[in-house]
Amino acid sequence: MDQPRDGNRLGCHGAQEHGSRRQRAFLPLLVLGIAFYLLCLHVSEVSLSRLLEGLPRLWTWLVRSWPPDLSELDILIRRGLETVAMATIGVSFGAIIAAPICLLSARNIGVSPIVALPARWLLNALRGIDSFVFALIFVAAVGLGPFAGVLGIAVHTAGSIAKLWAEAIETAEIGPVEAARMSGAGRLEVFLHAQLPDVLPQLASILLYMWEFNVRASTVLGIVGAGGIGQELKNSVDLLLFDRVLTILLVILVMVTLIDQLSAWLRRRLS
Amino acid sequence: MTPVLSVDGLTKRFGGLNALDNVSLEVAAGEFVAVLGPSGSGKSTLFRCITRLTEPDAGSIEIDRVAFESLKGRALRKARGRIGVVFQQFNLVRRKTALANVMTGALPRLPLWRIASGFYPENLAARAGTALASVGLASQRDQRADTLSGGQQQRVAIARALMQESRVLLADEPVASLDPQTARMVLGMMREMAKSKGLAILCTLHQPELAAEFADRILLMQSGRLRAFDAAEQAVP
Ligand SMILES: Nc1ncnc2c1ncn2[C@@H]1O[C@H](COP(=O)(O)OP(=O)(O)O)[C@@H](O)[C@H]1O
Ligand SMILES: [Mg+2]
Repeated sequence: MDQPRDGNRLGCHGAQEHGSRRQRAFLPLLVLGIAFYLLCLHVSEVSLSRLLEGLPRLWTWLVRSWPPDLSELDILIRRGLETVAMATIGVSFGAIIAAPICLLSARNIGVSPIVALPARWLLNALRGIDSFVFALIFVAAVGLGPFAGVLGIAVHTAGSIAKLWAEAIETAEIGPVEAARMSGAGRLEVFLHAQLPDVLPQLASILLYMWEFNVRASTVLGIVGAGGIGQELKNSVDLLLFDRVLTILLVILVMVTLIDQLSAWLRRRLS
Repeated sequence: MTPVLSVDGLTKRFGGLNALDNVSLEVAAGEFVAVLGPSGSGKSTLFRCITRLTEPDAGSIEIDRVAFESLKGRALRKARGRIGVVFQQFNLVRRKTALANVMTGALPRLPLWRIASGFYPENLAARAGTALASVGLASQRDQRADTLSGGQQQRVAIARALMQESRVLLADEPVASLDPQTARMVLGMMREMAKSKGLAILCTLHQPELAAEFADRILLMQSGRLRAFDAAEQAVP
């Protein structure tokens, strides 16, 4: 409906013709889009009848989950803290790996493309594969438990942090860099003196954001046996202990909310 | 007198435009040379090509009779230490103190951990303090650069060049962002540096009256070409 009005507003014959041509191209695109959507609906096996069948079952579980089973609350809180610890250590290791990669891949440090391009490929590869997938592999390599989760988070997050840090570094002012370069200092000296102070609040904010994000995301790592509260969640669902599942969900909710608030508060103070 | 800075046949093209066309000049120790020219005449390009922040297409640059235009890597960095610079936009690190900005001049002499932490050795901090005092900013040493006025920022930049103990000072329109009174003070300080430290100063300007007041010699830039500004022209207002 917007199309013809657009043409009229331009008020010339050519524009109207252009508008109607756009309209003609729009229709097949719309049909194609709808067809694609219907195909996806079919492939995902969406079925209202199965949802209706399942609803009573969900309802009985929900009823059975109340009151939440608080008998092992201390253990569950400890497992929640394990998730926070995994995310914290994973992100810190990720940051250590990210630091050299982001320096090599940022476009305004003066690193030759022969080194910068592979560095960018590496960070995109790390970023492209989820922590969950890395954790799955690390569980096989180093065994069950939070350490596998730490490694999974570290490797994936290194790519994400390096990418975001490099982008932040690229916003640093060029003037002070040229002034520092004229002192005869090398690239690393110039970076530390003239670029890092300019972007340090941004880098810290990114790190906090990645920490907060990973606390949220790593609640699922337990499902592949990589430690934390997710492992309790999987066990309880498998054993149909729904009052315990409810307690776990509450612990996750409180934990994630607290970390989100803390991180947001710290980031506000940085800016 | 032997020149400290000598430039011969410096040329730079941007597409079809001759931004610098076979420019030659010499500046002796203790001499303040001004380059006058309208906007777009190539003054900044001259500044950037002599410092090699932009690479010239042709020509030679010598500092203390040592070729500068062909240097690479470590040798280029070492030679750059002999050139102090002052920019129109000051180019201070905003979030660092005046003292830390002056310390930029001593960057190659500092280990990485000192650069990152800001724990500067006492002897260098004392020298930076002296440099700040000599531009009248002793009491601003711990003030953050972005809280200083334009004139104060440019004086920090001059102290930064002093700290470097360079032989040459290149300045690109150092007073274009300052009010007339501050501009005179800054140019006065630069002239004083040339005379007391034997520094060779090449300074681009666009106000003829400032050039006439402070420079020992004036060169004229026009469409990428440089020529001497003779006395007859100087007499005509
Ligand atoms: N990086 C660049 N790319 C293309 N043209 C440029 C570049 N830098 C400067 N120029 C051109 O070169 C000429 C000289 O510019 P500049 O040296 O900045 O003059 P001035 O400093 O005297 O005002 C101008 O015509 C300008 O547009
Ligand atoms: Mg200019």
